Amino acid sequence: MSSLSNEQLETAAAYALGALDADEAAEFELVLALSPELQREVESLREATGMLGAATAPVAPSPGLKQSVMAQLAATPQLPREDAGAQLAAHAAPVDPAQLAPAHTLAGAEPATEIPAPIPMSGLAADKARMRWFARPATIVAAAAAAVVLFFAGAFAADLVRPSSVNQQVLAQVVAAPDATVASSEVAGGATASLVSSESLGLSVMVFDGLATLSDDEAYALWYITGDQISPAGLFTVDADGQTVQVLEGEFVAGTIVGVTVEPASGSPQPTSDPIVAIVTESA
Amino acid sequence: MTRVLSDYAPEAATTWNAGAVHPEPEVATDDATPPTADEATALLTRVATGDQRAFSDLYDLIAPRMLGLVRHVLKDHAQSEEVVQEVLLEVWQTASRFDPNKGKAVTWMLTMAHRRAIDRVRSAQASRDRDTKIGIRDLGRDVDTVSETVEISIEHKRVEKAMARLSDLQRQAVELAYYGGYTQSEVAEMLNIPLGTVKTRLRDGLIRLRTELGVAS
Repeated sequence: MSSLSNEQLETAAAYALGALDADEAAEFELVLALSPELQREVESLREATGMLGAATAPVAPSPGLKQSVMAQLAATPQLPREDAGAQLAAHAAPVDPAQLAPAHTLAGAEPATEIPAPIPMSGLAADKARMRWFARPATIVAAAAAAVVLFFAGAFAADLVRPSSVNQQVLAQVVAAPDATVASSEVAGGATASLVSSESLGLSVMVFDGLATLSDDEAYALWYITGDQISPAGLFTVDADGQTVQVLEGEFVAGTIVGVTVEPASGSPQPTSDPIVAIVTESA
Repeated sequence: MTRVLSDYAPEAATTWNAGAVHPEPEVATDDATPPTADEATALLTRVATGDQRAFSDLYDLIAPRMLGLVRHVLKDHAQSEEVVQEVLLEVWQTASRFDPNKGKAVTWMLTMAHRRAIDRVRSAQASRDRDTKIGIRDLGRDVDTVSETVEISIEHKRVEKAMARLSDLQRQAVELAYYGGYTQSEVAEMLNIPLGTVKTRLRDGLIRLRTELGVAS
């Protein structure tokens, strides 16, 4: 009947009842944004919880409440129907770049000492390294900006616009960008990775679901690959639920390949293992 | 506050969520027919285009129900009115987001209200006795509640009956979560049971409720 896991179904029920805490809800909403099937489940459960809500006895508001609300309408801008991107932008909290701590710090791992500068690669080593990124064919679905917004907006945009972490705030901003693009790929082991990027903002965000947890001495590493250059774009780890949102460090340029490898927890100047996923973005 | 009786109009209200509640007859619209569920959708659609008159009608339809729900969670009347005001402005702002294919307008608005209510109660837990009156049987029958229409009263009975089909443990978990505003972890702690057990009870309880209430799955 359903390809949803029992855990997802349980979380959907808790979510519909409002029984998740802020962090749990934010995490679930990202999974939700990527799963139409889960969205339908939540919608249906919400009709039931809506009836719980409707079963309370109505209470007459103070006479002044209506006047007060009506008086504020003129000064309260409405979100336009067509431009869902602007809707998100209107709600997304501005992100202070200073808040953008290195990814590994956000993920709770030990801070690495320094992020090395990109190292140009040449010759045999470069060819060998490049080959790694394409050895594993990936299903890649790129979408235009309008589709990105649909992808994330749906009925749950209101949830995304109250992001609880800096990573999620950035995600909301990138989704809202007029040139936002999303590309998804399967990761070995059944996980999914989606890259949401915006050339105009120079930002990209990876959203993972079902990513395996690593041992304490390992971390996931993100890489921007442009031509011969492979630049480190941050380290992160995942919790037991395998869901995570990770903003890439450095500037995103359309046409770049984004790759993920498993590296020592302290990071590596260049990838030392085969990528678990590589996503090719379209050139501007 | 002034207690105002509803001008209950039995012939006009045809569905449970007809919202035939006019707590403030003095600000009611000329339209003598209370809005039906479909009218809630129609009103919301008009509100999305900036129609303040439609919003006024929508207010009459939904504000007393929002306040009933929010106050049931929050208890404090003044705080509840603040929350309802925020939610109503959010409805005004985001009306264009409502998709009638994804649920009822009333559900959409009450979901927003419930969310804000639990946000508020969690941010100010100390100011509230969180252990009392959270069950369906205690749903507000306070002195200043608006008189119910027959339809709302029937609907309340229907939900009560559906809740009675849950096991005691399922019902307790669902009530603590939805009406009490407790998180699943808090429920586990309060009842001194594993979190996994709470999750299962919430899931099974809500599925049963959905089935009993005849909501399509």
